Amino acid sequence: MNLSLLRIAIAAAAVAVPATSQDLVAVKAKTIHTITGPSVTDGVILLQNGRIKEIGKQGEVEIPWAAKVIDASDKVVMPTWVLAHSNGGMRGSNESMQNVPWLTVADAIDPGSTFFEGMRRNGVGTIHVMPGNATLLGGTGMVLRPAGRTVEDMTMAANTGMKLSLQASGGSRLQKIREMRRAIAEIREYLADYNRQKEEFDKEKAAGAVGDDKKWEKEIDRKKQAAVDLIEKKLGGWLYVPSFAELSEAMRMGQELDLNFVLGSNLDEAMPMLQRLKKPVVLAEGLEYFETDPETREEEQFCTAKMLMDAGVPFALSLGSGGPTSNPWWQLGTCVRNGVSRKQALEALTIVPAKMIGLDEQVGSLSEGKLGNLQILTGDPLAATTWVHMVVLEGEIVYERSKDPRLQYLFEAAEEMSESGAPAKEEAPKKEEGK
Amino acid sequence: MIRPLLACTLSLALASTAASQQDVTAFTNATVLPGGAPAMREATMIVAGGKVVALGSADAVEIPVGAVVVDCAGKTITPGLIDASFMTSVTADDANEQSDEVTPHLRILDSLDPEDPMMRRARRGGVTTVHVMPGTQNVIGGLGCVVKTHGSDPDQMVVKQDATMRIVMGSEPSNRNRAIRGGRIESMYYRRPTTRMGVVWAVRRAFFDAQEAMQKTQGAPDQGPPSPGIEVLTQVLQGKMTAVTTARSEQDLRTALRIADEFGYQTVIDEAQDAYMVADELAERKATVMLGAPSATDVGGGGGRDGAAPRSGTVRALADKGVKFVITTGTNTRRLPLVREAMFAARNGLGPQQALDAITIEPAKLLGVDDRIGSLAKGKDADFVIWSNDPLDPAAVAESVHIDGKPVSQLR
Repeated sequence: MNLSLLRIAIAAAAVAVPATSQDLVAVKAKTIHTITGPSVTDGVILLQNGRIKEIGKQGEVEIPWAAKVIDASDKVVMPTWVLAHSNGGMRGSNESMQNVPWLTVADAIDPGSTFFEGMRRNGVGTIHVMPGNATLLGGTGMVLRPAGRTVEDMTMAANTGMKLSLQASGGSRLQKIREMRRAIAEIREYLADYNRQKEEFDKEKAAGAVGDDKKWEKEIDRKKQAAVDLIEKKLGGWLYVPSFAELSEAMRMGQELDLNFVLGSNLDEAMPMLQRLKKPVVLAEGLEYFETDPETREEEQFCTAKMLMDAGVPFALSLGSGGPTSNPWWQLGTCVRNGVSRKQALEALTIVPAKMIGLDEQVGSLSEGKLGNLQILTGDPLAATTWVHMVVLEGEIVYERSKDPRLQYLFEAAEEMSESGAPAKEEAPKKEEGK
Repeated sequence: MIRPLLACTLSLALASTAASQQDVTAFTNATVLPGGAPAMREATMIVAGGKVVALGSADAVEIPVGAVVVDCAGKTITPGLIDASFMTSVTADDANEQSDEVTPHLRILDSLDPEDPMMRRARRGGVTTVHVMPGTQNVIGGLGCVVKTHGSDPDQMVVKQDATMRIVMGSEPSNRNRAIRGGRIESMYYRRPTTRMGVVWAVRRAFFDAQEAMQKTQGAPDQGPPSPGIEVLTQVLQGKMTAVTTARSEQDLRTALRIADEFGYQTVIDEAQDAYMVADELAERKATVMLGAPSATDVGGGGGRDGAAPRSGTVRALADKGVKFVITTGTNTRRLPLVREAMFAARNGLGPQQALDAITIEPAKLLGVDDRIGSLAKGKDADFVIWSNDPLDPAAVAESVHIDGKPVSQLR
C-alpha cells in the first residue's frame, strides 16, 4: 500500500466506519445512475476503504481478485438518498418549551429507532436531523447515516445549524412572529451587553483602572452560545416557513441571519419572493395542495416542486414519516407527474440536499473519491414496483431486502396466515438492532 | 320504485342517439387496457352517442368519415375507474340518520350533492363512477347508490339507485352512544346499542323482524305492504338486494360472515383490512371483498382501525386464495386517489392487469353494472380516461376524463 492510499484510508476511517475486513468491494450493475454524470450501462463500481475508487464499464474496470463482488448485473445502482431536513429518529422531536436554542438533537437520537430502519429500507444514506417544527429556536441539528449502534457511530457532521420555526402552535401566526422577533432581539441584547461589558473592561484596563494581572474571564452563557453563533452568522439557521403568510417575515429574518428555508404549502403566491433568495430551499413532504376559489368553488391543485422549478429556485425534497410520502419513488413520481423533470426530481433527493448540508464532496452522487454510499434497486427509481434490494454505506452492506424481518412480516405473514387460517397471535418482530 | 328512473335513463339514451350523427370521435394509436382483458397496443376506439361503438387494432377498425380523430400515441386509455366504496364530502351528521340505528330504507342518494368537491377531485383522478353508501355510524345505514361523477342532477347521474344495503360491524355504530344522565329514555339522543354485542343484536333483530313479516305475508298475502325497512331487509334475505357489511378486524369479519350464514344471505365485505386472516372462509362462501385503502399499511404495522392489522401482503394472499376482491378508497383517512391504491397493490405483488381490473371491471360486476361500465367494448358507455402513460406509474396523470363520451375533466 503506497502512502497516498494510506492517506485515503485514514481519511475514510476518520469520517466513516473503520474499513472492515473487506476493504475492496466491486458492485456490478445493469445501470448506474451517477446523478451528476452520465449513466453507465453494464457498469461496475469499485469501492476501496469505503470510498468510490472507480466507476466504469464492466470489462474496462479491473476487479481485483481480493474484492468482494456484489453482483447486481440485472439491477439499478445509484447513490443513496440525502435528506436535507428531517425530524425523525428522535425520542421527542419538540421540546415543550418554546425557546430552547441550547438543545441538540444528539441527545434525543435513538439509534434503534424504526425510523432509521425505514430509512435504510428506502435507500436513504444521509439524513440531516433537526428538531421539530413546534418550537421557536429549537436547538441544533446533525447529519447522520442511518446505521450504527451509537449516535457517535452514525454521525457525519455535528452542530450543523439552528432550527427555527414560524409554525404557530397554539397562538396565532402574528403572535408566533412577534415571539420569534423577541427571541432574536433578546439574544442581540445579551450579546450587545456582553460586548459592552467587555469593551468597558478593556477601556478600564487600558486606563490602568484594572490591574494588569486581571483578565476578561466572563464567558458567553453556554445556554446562549448556539443562539449567539446564529446571530453572528457563525452558525446557519434552518427556518421552517409553514406557508406564504409567514414568508415576508422569513425574508426579513433572512437578511439578518444565514438561513436555509424549509417550506410548507400554500406557496402559489410566494415565487417572486423565493426567487430573490438565490438559494436552494427544502420542501416539506406534502408536495401537492388544493385551494378552492371562494367565489366559484372551483378547486385548484398546486405542486410546490413544479412552481419552484418554473421559478428557477432549486429545491430539495423531504420524506414523510409514514404513508405514501415516506417512499422516495412516490415523492419523485409526484414531482414528475406535476411536470418537474426527472433529472431535477432525482437531484432534489441527492446532490441538491448534499450541497445544502455542505457534504456534496462526500455524498449525493457517484464519482471517484466520494463515499461509497449506494443503493441497489430492483428497477427504475421512479417506478412503483421497484424495491430497494440492498444498501451499501461506505462500502458496508447495511440493508438487504431478503433479510428485512419487518417486510417479511407484512408480506409473508399475510400469506402464511391465509394458508392456515389461523388468527394472528404473534407480535411484530422486535426492533432490529441498529447495525 | 325503479320505474321513473328507468324512463329517465331511456330518454337520456334516446337523446344521445339522436346526437350521435354529429359527434363521432376516433381515438387512435393508444395503448388500451380495456378492463378484464389484456392490453391492446396501437388500438383505435370509436366513440359516438356516448357509447363505445368500436374498439380494436388499427386495421380492424374503420374510422368513419367525418369523425374527429384524436391521436393518442404514447397514451394509455382505460375504462373510467369505479370506486366501489367512496366517501363524499357529505358530513357524518348528514350521512348517519340519528333517529334510529336501523334504517335499511334510507337512501344516501337523497344526501348527495352533484357538485360534491370530493367527487370532483375523484373525477379529476379518473374515477367516473362511484358507489356511495350511508355512513358507518348506523348498524344498518340504508341504501347505497351507484352514480357517475359528473352531472348537474343526481337523478341523471344514477347508474343504479338501490344498489346495496349497508350493515356495519365493529365499534363505530356504538362508540358514540351513551345514555344521557337524566335524559329521557325515549329521547332520540339515547341511542342503542353501546357495545359490539348490541350492534350484532340490532342486526339480528332486524332480520328476525323481516323473517317474521315474510312468514306473515305468506299466510295472508292481502295484509298490506310491510314497512319500507322490512321490505329492503326482505330483499336482502331473498337475494334480490346486495348486502354490504363493513367490517375491519378479524373479529368483525368473522361476525359478519356468521350473521350472513345464520340468515342465509350473501354479503359483500367492505373495508376488510384483516381479510387475509379469513381468506379461506371468504373463498368458501364466494364472498367478495371491497378492500378499503389497501395502501394504508405502515411497515411498523400501523394504519389499521378498530383493531385491524393491515398487511401489505393482503392483496397477494387474497388473489392466491381465489378470494374475489375489488380495491376501493373506503373510509380510511389515509386513502389515496383510487388509481394510486391500485398502484400500491401492484407494488405489493398484484399483477398490473389484476390491479387495474380491481378498480374497473371487478367493481362493475360486484355492483351489477358491468353491462354498461367497467370495461371498454362495443356498446358500453364511453366512460374512459386518457392517461399520460401507464396509469400504475406514480408519474401518470389523467390527461382527460370522459363520461358518456364527453370530456368532464381535462388537464390544462
